[in-house]
Amino acid sequence: MAEATTTRQPLLTVTDLKQHFPIESGFILKRQIGAVRAVDGISFSVYPGETLGIVGESGCGKSTTIRSIAQLYKPTAGKVMFNGLDLVNASKDELLKARKDIQLIFQDPYASLNPRMTVRQIISEPLTIYSNRKMLQPEMTKEEIETRIEELMERVGLNKAFKNRYPHEFSGGQRQRIGIARALALNPKIILADEPVSALDVSIQSQILNLLNDLQKDLGLTYLFIAHDLAVIEYISTRVAVMYLGIIVELSESRDLYHNPLHPYTKALLSAAPIPDPAIERKRKRIILTGDVPSPIKEHKGCYFYERCPMRMEHCATNIPPLHQVSEGHEVACWLYE
Amino acid sequence: MKREQKAKATNEFNQVVMGNSLSKDAWRRLRKNKMAVISVVIVAIYMLLAITAPILPIYSYDEIVNEHQNLLPSLTKTSGELMWDKKLSDLYTQAWRQNRLTVTDAENEILEAWVLKGQATKVWDYLLEEGNRQLAEGSFEWSAAEKRTLDNLEKKIASDIQITIQKVWQTNQETGKKINISKMAVKDLVQLYADLLGVPTEPIVTQYTYEITESVSKEIQAEVTDLSKEEYALMAEQRLSDMSGKDYDKLIKANIIAKINSTVKDMALYELKSDASQASTTYPFDKEMSITDTVSASIKAAKMHDRRYYLGTDRLGRDLMSRIIYGSQVSIAIGLIGTFTSVLIGVILGSLAGYIGGKVDYFIMRVVDIMYGLPYMLLVIIAMAIFGRNILNLFFALAIISWLTISRMVRGQIMSLKNQEFIEAARSMGASTGRIIFKHLVPNSLSVIIVFSTLRIPSFIMTESFLSFLGLGVQAPFASWGSLVGDAVGGMTLYPWRLFFPAIVMTIFLFAMNFLGDGLRDAFDPQSKNQL
Ligand SMILES: Nc1ncnc2c1ncn2[C@@H]1O[C@H](COP(=O)(O)OP(=O)(O)OP(=O)(O)O)[C@@H](O)[C@H]1O
Ligand SMILES: [Mg+2]
Repeated sequence: MAEATTTRQPLLTVTDLKQHFPIESGFILKRQIGAVRAVDGISFSVYPGETLGIVGESGCGKSTTIRSIAQLYKPTAGKVMFNGLDLVNASKDELLKARKDIQLIFQDPYASLNPRMTVRQIISEPLTIYSNRKMLQPEMTKEEIETRIEELMERVGLNKAFKNRYPHEFSGGQRQRIGIARALALNPKIILADEPVSALDVSIQSQILNLLNDLQKDLGLTYLFIAHDLAVIEYISTRVAVMYLGIIVELSESRDLYHNPLHPYTKALLSAAPIPDPAIERKRKRIILTGDVPSPIKEHKGCYFYERCPMRMEHCATNIPPLHQVSEGHEVACWLYE
Repeated sequence: MKREQKAKATNEFNQVVMGNSLSKDAWRRLRKNKMAVISVVIVAIYMLLAITAPILPIYSYDEIVNEHQNLLPSLTKTSGELMWDKKLSDLYTQAWRQNRLTVTDAENEILEAWVLKGQATKVWDYLLEEGNRQLAEGSFEWSAAEKRTLDNLEKKIASDIQITIQKVWQTNQETGKKINISKMAVKDLVQLYADLLGVPTEPIVTQYTYEITESVSKEIQAEVTDLSKEEYALMAEQRLSDMSGKDYDKLIKANIIAKINSTVKDMALYELKSDASQASTTYPFDKEMSITDTVSASIKAAKMHDRRYYLGTDRLGRDLMSRIIYGSQVSIAIGLIGTFTSVLIGVILGSLAGYIGGKVDYFIMRVVDIMYGLPYMLLVIIAMAIFGRNILNLFFALAIISWLTISRMVRGQIMSLKNQEFIEAARSMGASTGRIIFKHLVPNSLSVIIVFSTLRIPSFIMTESFLSFLGLGVQAPFASWGSLVGDAVGGMTLYPWRLFFPAIVMTIFLFAMNFLGDGLRDAFDPQSKNQL
């Protein structure tokens, strides 16, 4: 697999993406007094057919990354290349065309579906929008859209008899399936999934994950998958990126990361995850991080993890470690491995 | 919603599965609320009456009958009987003042006390009863003059008839064919009119020429002011010569037909009057009468004083009931149309401000702030003064000023909704701003908008009534609840029903609207319900 990824053309390439939210003050003449550096320069590629997982604590900028890639926010800086098109500087029409291939699945199955629409209206919305704009290839008639809806519902495991029901008449897991069906409607190439299972309970989580896995196999989808649950990420991802305070600190093959974590933050993260075997669990040494997560407003001169790092060195305080390759397909941003 | 969105979905047993929308839920909850249901029924009745007013069996709202001024509301008595009673109590009161109608000292004291307190109606009622009793006993007698007055009145009540000409025909003497005069050629019409009057046609031609010129120059005077007489005459001539022959003929026709109708009416009236004294006709009737050998007309006639006024009459003898019904039409229309326009403007501007944000939001909201700062009533009054006082301008003035609150509310609602994930989902699917606003944001704020509109209608009606009360709103002969109340305040003590009925009708409607609004609010937001 490692060779395969290097030889293949990436589907999505993010280069030095930054997303800063300005903090303004003043009444009429607004003055910028700082910025929340939600995403502070990240680069990675996603290859066709793979699943790139992104893990990180709450507030480290995972959702913002996805939203900037999907151009829901205008990125402050950086490039997002999708299929040879730079989405950040694309024209409206180009962007619309590209959007057909990039679909989102959201975290909260309750908030991501319009409560005033029936399931069929929700699922058919992307089709309707593109068919109204005459951008659907091939063009679909009303009946074809109707059959497509039923097909999609069955595909994600919903009873098509419920297509005239409203979201509030479904359970959380079912609602997430509706969201998945909506994302599939336009036959996208890549799906950006923002913690699609974190709001569900564990048994339902595995159902949804299995569904996503099946869909990937059958439809050849590519996923950019966010989670803060390491077990989920391990299960679904081919490669994993670990985020901390708006940057990527480690990026590697999934298996590699779990057996051989390099960055101190990754190590701490992995040691905090519970292990289902009580014997190992008891013996295992935990790394307890000291200090709080620094404010994302702060501008860093050195390593972003410096304040909390158990292995910090003097050098780290003033020099930002770049992400560099340590072994085949394993990159880390830490001076320990220089 | 489009029909195609209602495609049937069936389960494995081939049963149709329908979803329960949030509005359906709300409707179900509303139906459990007794007050709200009663209110819905009341509002529906009002609307029905207002809409069907032109076909209801009621008198015209602007027909003035001089003898019927300020008649009491009565379910049993005709206007003739009421007039009779009124006259009698007038005469009895006079007689009592002249000491011809004697009452005991105790009664005298009571009557005097009423007079002092200004309770004239009580005095009249009492003396009417007392006088009738004494007249029957023989202890009181009318003077000769009074007798004559009463006799005249009795005759008048018996013989006064009111007729309307519906159609006039001329019978062709050779063929025996009847032609409706509205379909006749101008020349024949003039001839017919001349024959009716028994005069040659020339003076008639001079008369209508003069009248038409006069009316055209009046028209011009209404359009442009400040010209000399000669200029007006010149313009009128110009306009008449510009007119096509057909248009001019139309003017002549209208003029002559009106004249023929009034002549026919006079002739028919004369004939019926002489009939009435012989009591050979029964009223009311609707039949064809021949006026001369060749002219006949379809005529509706009724005894003037057989009319019944269930809610009494007003200062000019107009039927209060029909005025209230037509007034409801105006008041409710103002409430609905005003609310509709203001909600439309408010929703569009509010959602644009809320969704787009930034400079657009800033600009719209500053306009709203500034307009909020201006005195609302003053603006309406100024607008009415500038654009003229008619109902349309009233709608307009009310609407342009009252979208402020709703736009603020919608803006807030939209701002809280626009960061929801389903909006991001729509944006990520490439939905346009218009689609996001009208398919996602507005439907989700609909409950707030509906509740607000319902509660807004009464306040519109109140504003309109207030303006009409001040004389700035609806102009006579049109009526609205406000103008009816305003008109009635003058005679409040003597003719309380003129105030009471419009006021009660208005109050009931406003109550119903408010209960309905509250009911809707509870229905849309089950958590907020204040349980007792
Ligand atoms: N629209 C915004 N304006 C200002 N700050 C924002 C905005 N969106 C996110 N942020 C800030 O950016 C940072 C990253 O937020 P983000 O939602 O990406 O975190 P996350 O990693 O998805 O967290 P979680 O796991 O809780 O979803 C946070 O500090 C947040 O407060
Ligand atoms: Mg998030």
